[in-house]
Amino acid sequence: MWGVMITLLLSACNGILEDIYDAPQPKGTQIYGFASMDDKTHTGRIYIDATDYTEWHYIDLHDKRVTTAAVDATSPENWDFAIHRYDAKTNGGAIAEIDAKDFGSMPAVGSIPEESFVTDEWTTNKIMVDMSQMMDGIIRYAEDWYNPCLSRWLHVDTSTMPPVYTLSGKTYLLRLSDGAYAALRLANFMNDAAVKGFMTIDYQYPVQP
Amino acid sequence: MMKRVLFFLLFCLFIANDILAQRKVSGVVTDDHDEPLAGALVKVKEHRTSVAVTDADGHYELRLPADGRYTLTATYIGYFDATKVVDGSHKGTLKFRLRENMMTLNQVVVTGTRTPKLLKDAPIVTRVISEQDVKRADATHIGDLLQTELPGIEFSYSMNQQTSLNMSGFGGNSVLFLVDGERLAGETLDNVDYSRLNMDNVQRIEIVKGAASSLYGSNAVGGVVNIISRESQEPWSVNLNGRYGAHNEQRYGGSVGFNLGRFNSVTNVQRTSIDAIDLSKGTSNAEVGDYSTIYGHSTLNVKERLIFSAMDNLKLTARAGYFFRERNSSETLKDRYRSFTGGVKGNYSPTANDDVELSYAFDQYDKSDYLVPTDRDVRDYSNVQHNVRTLYNHTFAGKHVLTAGGDYMRDYLMSYQFEDNGSYTQHTADAFAQFDWNPYKKFNLIAGLRFDWFSEAKLSHLSPKLGLMYKLKNCSLRGSYAGGFRAPTLKEMYMNFYMGNIFMIYGNPDLNPESSHNFSLSAEYMKGQHNVTVTGFYNIVDDRITTAWNQALGGQVYTNMSRLQVAGVDASASGRYSSGLSWRLSYAYTYEHIKKGEPMLSSTRPHTATARLAYDKDWKNYGLGVTLSGRWLSKVTTDVYTEITSYEQTERQTYPGYTIWKLSLSQRIWRGLNVTLAVDNLFNYRPDYYYSNSPSTTGTTGSVGLSVDIDRMFKKRTGKQI
Repeated sequence: MWGVMITLLLSACNGILEDIYDAPQPKGTQIYGFASMDDKTHTGRIYIDATDYTEWHYIDLHDKRVTTAAVDATSPENWDFAIHRYDAKTNGGAIAEIDAKDFGSMPAVGSIPEESFVTDEWTTNKIMVDMSQMMDGIIRYAEDWYNPCLSRWLHVDTSTMPPVYTLSGKTYLLRLSDGAYAALRLANFMNDAAVKGFMTIDYQYPVQP
Repeated sequence: MMKRVLFFLLFCLFIANDILAQRKVSGVVTDDHDEPLAGALVKVKEHRTSVAVTDADGHYELRLPADGRYTLTATYIGYFDATKVVDGSHKGTLKFRLRENMMTLNQVVVTGTRTPKLLKDAPIVTRVISEQDVKRADATHIGDLLQTELPGIEFSYSMNQQTSLNMSGFGGNSVLFLVDGERLAGETLDNVDYSRLNMDNVQRIEIVKGAASSLYGSNAVGGVVNIISRESQEPWSVNLNGRYGAHNEQRYGGSVGFNLGRFNSVTNVQRTSIDAIDLSKGTSNAEVGDYSTIYGHSTLNVKERLIFSAMDNLKLTARAGYFFRERNSSETLKDRYRSFTGGVKGNYSPTANDDVELSYAFDQYDKSDYLVPTDRDVRDYSNVQHNVRTLYNHTFAGKHVLTAGGDYMRDYLMSYQFEDNGSYTQHTADAFAQFDWNPYKKFNLIAGLRFDWFSEAKLSHLSPKLGLMYKLKNCSLRGSYAGGFRAPTLKEMYMNFYMGNIFMIYGNPDLNPESSHNFSLSAEYMKGQHNVTVTGFYNIVDDRITTAWNQALGGQVYTNMSRLQVAGVDASASGRYSSGLSWRLSYAYTYEHIKKGEPMLSSTRPHTATARLAYDKDWKNYGLGVTLSGRWLSKVTTDVYTEITSYEQTERQTYPGYTIWKLSLSQRIWRGLNVTLAVDNLFNYRPDYYYSNSPSTTGTTGSVGLSVDIDRMFKKRTGKQI
């Protein structure tokens, strides 16, 4: 027993049983943007590093492109929705929250009442852009558009420290300004190292009306 | 010739008469639980030449003159004497059942000197929490146990509900926790994972307050807590236990032990779990506190220790352990903590005056994040420590002890708090010597010196110690000076962490080690079944390590604080009576002086006290234990900086004091079957606001526990008591 133990332990200067864990994503190998697409089902996955408080990430579902721009910079020409950390806004669209756990269980678009769709609103106290003085109680916000319905995909309870993060688990139907529909689901908001702000968004586009 | 024959006949007659006139008195000497005590002494007051020593079954036999009354006294170290009177009409066996002496002055301790010493002879004040105290407290977490037993100790929450210790002004990284003398790898916010310290199968816990770096090196600034595991005493033993309490708190465990020939083994398994605690439940407070929910969690702890006595003077020990804890910090994220532990140790005594210990210890502590959305368990922290130790003791003239030893440790740390989840390795080595000089029975002087070296910190440090003890009738006076130190850790030297995407925390490779001068004076008075101890201490602490805001870097940097002082008084009084009643009152006063403008200010509660009143009685087929225990913590008013980026403006903050009482009823229903019922927070205390140092109680709660010693059910009952 002692011999086995000594051999086992001395052969592992930096530890043992590494294999019981999942290997972390190797640095530089993570694909950002449209990470996967299935043309048959019109579904895919978007992965965005939204950890920076000073950036919007604009998603163009038609051209399958993500453009990053500073919060106070001009938005790109074509985009459908955008995210800043967990905040979201649309390009003149509207969002309806659907109680569906996957795209297959969504009701027909036509059955969703018009009053379920929520348009963006202009905010001055939602888009946090400077957290450097947060510990002293000072947070700087950007004035910008904000969709309160889509932003519900992640609930952040700040009444307790640290905040409690809860995924809604729901599906969000995005009606684009051209009348087309897309379905969005927030699958995750962390990377492998549990750093928050890495957004994994599953989408279906277009959704048949 | 005739005279010689006559003398011989008279002599034979006398002898025969004496033998014929003798009677045999025999029986057994056992403890409270009818376990035989081998080596106990049975003496006869009126016939001093009649002495018997019990054998392995606790059996003794005496021969006494046929007539007259005789007073028999059974004695055994660590137990109260028991006396019985026999007269000419006595028949049958005479059984002595000895009760353990809870004053524990005959308890052997090792932590203060690293060599076995009777508690009453230990030159360093050592507080012992006995196995019975551990069982009485019925605690799952060592924090609950220590807070119940000792004043001046507070476990609270730091950021992210991580457990944080304050022991008389010293934090978790300044108090060294040991399990059977071995360090624990890993830390979170400067505290080891206290959940690893399984309270099942503990023989005793020794607590030495004050600096002890001359024997233990880094971290032993504020004290040492050493948890000593129990060895199997029985040929075989099986214990199963379970406990159920509020918030669906569950604890299940079991031990299997054997002691056969040269082999001794104990295997222990414990599983615990508790649901999340909603602190806002039943209140109308919108803001219930700094936090509103205590995370639920579960643990699994498995350990095995095998001892092989290869020869009478050579003992080999092998041990292995696994620990797992999962904390449900959210629906999407579970924090996981694991440790893998192993070690081998050899103890060799070439002569009666020499013993040598050589050991190798391995301890790995990992943290990982289990991400529910992706079903991935990714490790982001691993601390691996390999430790080789040697210790040599030589006894001169049967009373002076020289202790010398050395350690080598390889300390590997991979952490998410390093750049790109990197890793660093540090090698440490030390050598120490101590001389325990006992020129007179009443006087003891102990002096020691230790040299420590750390490769990454490029640090060499000397830690001295000098202790004196003088016994005066029922009083023992002790005084000591000891140096303490704590080397900068790899985390403190190399951290490069973007805290919550808000600000950076930087390590500092140029940190000085924390160092302290600890002065202590104590007086202990013992008489009969009472004990009173008063200890005063004074610490000068230089270069305490903490984080401070750095304007140039726009983040926090590890830095050394300027000199601070911690002084205080610990006092305790206790008594235990043959009726089964016992009590203990303890009080601690702590004064911590930190200059304004330092990045960290004091928040240590000045006054704390603990109290315990217990009644324990064992009858033949039934045992009863009732314990009322309480702890009182005074309020503390402190200054808090109004900004994290500046150490100028402060505001007053008061954290309220509180008192918590617990009542437990333990019953030995039948042989090895024990049932424990407990009511915690007896007077339904509930904080108005839950600060991080408030007790996370939601009011009065109850629990029920069951423990079965299966081996005792099969044990043959011995002796016939009269």
